[in-house]
Amino acid sequence: MTAVLAPPAGAGPTRRPAPPPSPAPGSAARARRRRALAWFALLAGPNVALLVLFVYKPLVESFYLSTMQWNLGSPVARFVGLGNYVEWFTADSTARVLTTTAVFTLTTVGGALVLGLGLALLLDRRLPGRGLARTVAFAPYVLSGYAVGILWLFIFDPRYGLMSAVLRGFGVASPQWYTVEPWPLVMIIVVYLWKHLGYVALIYLAGLQGVPQDLRDAAALDGASPGRTLRSVVLPLLAPTTFFLLVTMMLASLQSFDVIRSMTQGGPLGSTTTLMYQIYTEGFVNGRAGYASAGATILFLLLLAVTAVQLRFLERKVHYA
Amino acid sequence: MSHRSHRRRSLAASALVAVGALGLAACTTPTIATGDAAETAASDAVDWSSVEPASQITWWSNHPGSSKAVEEELIARFEEAHPEIDVELVTAGANYDEVAQRFQAASQTSELPDVVISSDVWWFRYHLNDQILALDDVLEHLDGDTDDFVSAFYADYEYEGQHWAVPYARSTPLFYYNKDKWAAAGLPDRGPETWAELQEWSTSLTAQVPADSKPLGMSTGPSWSAWWFENMIWGHGGQYSDEWTTTLDAPEAVAGGQFLHDLFHGDAAYATVSEDSTADFAAGVVAATIGSTGSLKGILDAASFEVGTAFLPDGPDGGGVPTGGTGLAIPASKTPEEQLAAAMFLQFITSTEQTAYFSQNTGYMPVRTSAIESPEMTAVYEATPQFRTAVDQLSAKARSQDWIRVFVPSADQILTEGIEQIVLRGTDPATAWGSIAPKIETAYRENVEPYL
Repeated sequence: MTAVLAPPAGAGPTRRPAPPPSPAPGSAARARRRRALAWFALLAGPNVALLVLFVYKPLVESFYLSTMQWNLGSPVARFVGLGNYVEWFTADSTARVLTTTAVFTLTTVGGALVLGLGLALLLDRRLPGRGLARTVAFAPYVLSGYAVGILWLFIFDPRYGLMSAVLRGFGVASPQWYTVEPWPLVMIIVVYLWKHLGYVALIYLAGLQGVPQDLRDAAALDGASPGRTLRSVVLPLLAPTTFFLLVTMMLASLQSFDVIRSMTQGGPLGSTTTLMYQIYTEGFVNGRAGYASAGATILFLLLLAVTAVQLRFLERKVHYA
Repeated sequence: MSHRSHRRRSLAASALVAVGALGLAACTTPTIATGDAAETAASDAVDWSSVEPASQITWWSNHPGSSKAVEEELIARFEEAHPEIDVELVTAGANYDEVAQRFQAASQTSELPDVVISSDVWWFRYHLNDQILALDDVLEHLDGDTDDFVSAFYADYEYEGQHWAVPYARSTPLFYYNKDKWAAAGLPDRGPETWAELQEWSTSLTAQVPADSKPLGMSTGPSWSAWWFENMIWGHGGQYSDEWTTTLDAPEAVAGGQFLHDLFHGDAAYATVSEDSTADFAAGVVAATIGSTGSLKGILDAASFEVGTAFLPDGPDGGGVPTGGTGLAIPASKTPEEQLAAAMFLQFITSTEQTAYFSQNTGYMPVRTSAIESPEMTAVYEATPQFRTAVDQLSAKARSQDWIRVFVPSADQILTEGIEQIVLRGTDPATAWGSIAPKIETAYRENVEPYL
């Protein structure tokens, strides 16, 4: 599952109306306040209602379910307090799930940022067919993750796949992508990177086009090499873009589902089971809805913590133009 | 508000929205009655004679054995016989597990089908959750000749004196072999009677497959490997469980696991893991495989060589073959009108003529004895003797599956984990079984025991 960032609530022009300049006669002031309140309710109400209905209510209910032992589909449930959390933190599988999640997230986010920047720098040049190249680079992002996964399964097939044929051409035997660890994890990382590279490149490209040409020219006049210009001029100015991508890509990666579901189903032997996929497996395969909800709550807190750390420490180093 | 501060709040809000979606994904919003599981009320008996069937019903299927066109034909025949009832066929998943997951997820909603695929490892969970209807009364009302069902198949859905599904796409594992490679290896035109015999034959078969392959190709995965492995563990005198008691620590069960280990990792290993063993078999990459009878038609169509079918080999303590596949169930929460229409549909597509038609076009076994003996199937058996093997194996070797695999929710997945440890990692069987036995016991304690 990829993250879908809805427009942040409260962002935009909804602003508390300015207080009247001087104490007005009571009735007129009250009428103005009521009008302002009515406008606020009218404009913000639908958005808030949707957020409450589809985000906060399920969140609360998910936490409630996490205190139950409930077999999905069963008409009865049993209250177990924090038992599901205790079980999760003491389970043998937890360390492996967290390790897999960390490896997957760090490599996909790091890889996407580095490769995406490189691709953006390439696409920023005045080359023939640049428009087509940009479209081609971005196209995988709009494809269904499930379909992408199925397609790449054929490519990775150790016996019949394109990858196997290419490797054979170099005299290298194909790894057993489906069955031998750590290849299944490598496989889904490659596919996830391929799918999201275009998105990262596009955002970086927009950032690059916001870098003033006169600064680059000034650096060139000062004798800075292209590498030095990139390092000392372009990258600092891209810091807000990098920060935005870091936050959004990390959220998306931690919630990744479709590629894993279509390619490995978390296997073999749980070697591609991330925390997100564990929640699905426990809830919908094993039917342990309470335990899965505990996992969802833990993932929620993890995402909140990661985002808070990024905001608290990394944003200090970001310079907005 | 400063630009920086505004941006920070926007990002924080975005993060909150994104992670909040988890709550939505994690679960629906059911009404949960807390209390003793045993307190769940049984549905009131329905006087079916006073019920008029609904005019439209929905069927959730995964089209087992690539049978979508066959199922559409069955629906067309039903609608011709019962023009007052329309049936909508919904592809609810790519396999039994996906249909079941969708059914479970929909259980707290009004978006349930009227007929649903209910595989051997899922129907009992539906029953435990009071999700499906006991069919005995409604089938009796419809004069359904349930005595004509193959008794082993119909009995699979019996619990506490009632039947919770009817057999539909029923199968057993079957031993498939490539007759060309068999002949080239100088072997008799038959399957091996024992695993020991296949071990002897494997030396000559190895020369008939590519250098990076092995004579026997096997796939693993949920709803699959724990099914065929029953033949091996039974062949060594073991079993997954004795009724509800897990018996994986018994020496016989460990011996079965050791046999599996040596099949893939022993000095004379002759099996390889295939992502899709039937595809590898049809492509000639392996000389033999174990596949479902439901794959028979697909294999016969895909293979460019003559395909042989045989019983699963015996082990040193005999053997046996598990029955499997899927039945059809009716959700308990539907209206009596919808349930009656659904029952009429079940009765129709499992009738003698229709089950024979389904069998001819998929390889799944006819679920009625009258169909097995029908002129249509007799003609099929004469023209394509491979179809006959499964029926003969059923009467000669069939054995009810071990309880924990089919009755304990998620036990099939847990057993698969143990089997994959042995097959993919070469884990010592005692260690592999020891790592999964507590999980099965927990699943039983949480999801079965309170409901018995």
